[in-house]
Amino acid sequence: MSGSAHISELAFKFPNNQSWAMVRTHFDIQSFGVNAYIAGEAGVEVIGEHDELGENAGKHEELYFVSSGHAAFTVDGDEIDAPAGTFVFVPDPSTKRKAIAKEAGTTIVIVGGKPGEAFTPSPWERTSEGLAHFANKDYEKAAETYESFLAETPGNAGFLYNLACAESLLGRKEDALQHLRQSVEADAVFKRNALEDPDFDAIRDDPEFSAITGQTDATRAST
Amino acid sequence: MAVDFRCVDRSVPTDAWAEPTRPETGTASGASDVSEKAYEVAHLDELDRYPVDDEGLLWRPVRRRLGITAFGTNAYTAENGTERVVEEHSEEGGHEELYYVVSGRARFVLGDDEIDAPAGTFVHAEPGTKRGAVATEPNTTVLAIGAKPGVPHEVSKWEDIFVVFGLYRTGKEAEARRQLEKVLAENPDSWQGYYNAACFEALTGNDDAAVAQLKRAIELDLKALEYAADDSDFDRLRERPDFPS
Repeated sequence: MSGSAHISELAFKFPNNQSWAMVRTHFDIQSFGVNAYIAGEAGVEVIGEHDELGENAGKHEELYFVSSGHAAFTVDGDEIDAPAGTFVFVPDPSTKRKAIAKEAGTTIVIVGGKPGEAFTPSPWERTSEGLAHFANKDYEKAAETYESFLAETPGNAGFLYNLACAESLLGRKEDALQHLRQSVEADAVFKRNALEDPDFDAIRDDPEFSAITGQTDATRAST
Repeated sequence: MAVDFRCVDRSVPTDAWAEPTRPETGTASGASDVSEKAYEVAHLDELDRYPVDDEGLLWRPVRRRLGITAFGTNAYTAENGTERVVEEHSEEGGHEELYYVVSGRARFVLGDDEIDAPAGTFVHAEPGTKRGAVATEPNTTVLAIGAKPGVPHEVSKWEDIFVVFGLYRTGKEAEARRQLEKVLAENPDSWQGYYNAACFEALTGNDDAAVAQLKRAIELDLKALEYAADDSDFDRLRERPDFPS
């Protein structure tokens, strides 16, 4: 649809002191991906370290624009000081990139697309539908959302992880452990996330949780 | 000297450029100012500033500078705060566009609606929806991102033409001519190239060359004749017996 919205109307808060504005889905943009991330305070990792090759990534080339505040990017191992007004363009999906806010309110607008191909939305974007339910503390809805995604893309590590989060918060211990295990088996990166994620406080003391996230587990080397 | 916007025409469907040969800026590897680094960085203040009209609207190429190929990206700046910051157009060529007000404030027209857009506002326009914006505060900058749904992105040809006329308006006529010759060499079968060359020749006082280029454009596509009839760039030439009509 044609229309307008201020970034403050689109942003919804995340537990990790960050807000997201899902711009593409709001306007139903069909020809490129676009979102914005806002840091609640200095030190927040506004763009978590990632490349664009993961199962949920779009394998896009990506343009990052610091529209306010001040960020410190690390791209391909290089540090880039990025005050408001800085564009950082990362063409190769395999390049590692991240950004940390140096000021509260630092806002980064991200645009992505795949050269030479018609645009299709990145799978991870769908996960935001569920994340909105987390933000509203509606964990039943969040769990239902991820279950429906998993029915379409079985075994998706990110969806399994978020489902486990919702189940842990709902006190469904066995379900949470089962789905977290499946998530970690699909992508070991989620071990590290689980260790630091307060959503799992309810199951953290369970021996099985330790087994799933165990520091001594040999599969850790694969991350 | 009023340069009709037709001269850098964006209302011309982009697909009217027959089988475009990609300009060297069309690929990250081929663009002269794009290195082999894993990333490109530029600050808004470092971007080129090409005047788009005589009122103060400045085009700040982002895609071109960074070597982006998957979507169009440009910034526009209105320093005075009273002038146009997004020219009024409809993207009949099928691009949808997202505008983001980076600084200042603008009044957008979107279809039949008027929108007051302070910094931080996104405005989305579907293909065919009339859109445009006038700055209402000094130093208003709007970022525009555009692409056509359902097809791989093709770099918009108007960017090359904007450079030609931008250089011309900043007094760099020789450089503008070199850029124009490059555009013509890369698009030998495109009427738009010759049409814009005709405008350029008319503006720089080369009347014979202007008429010759306009004739070449018309030979390729009669649309050029329609455009020329309303284009003020050619007003001085209309009385010539050999002016196409």
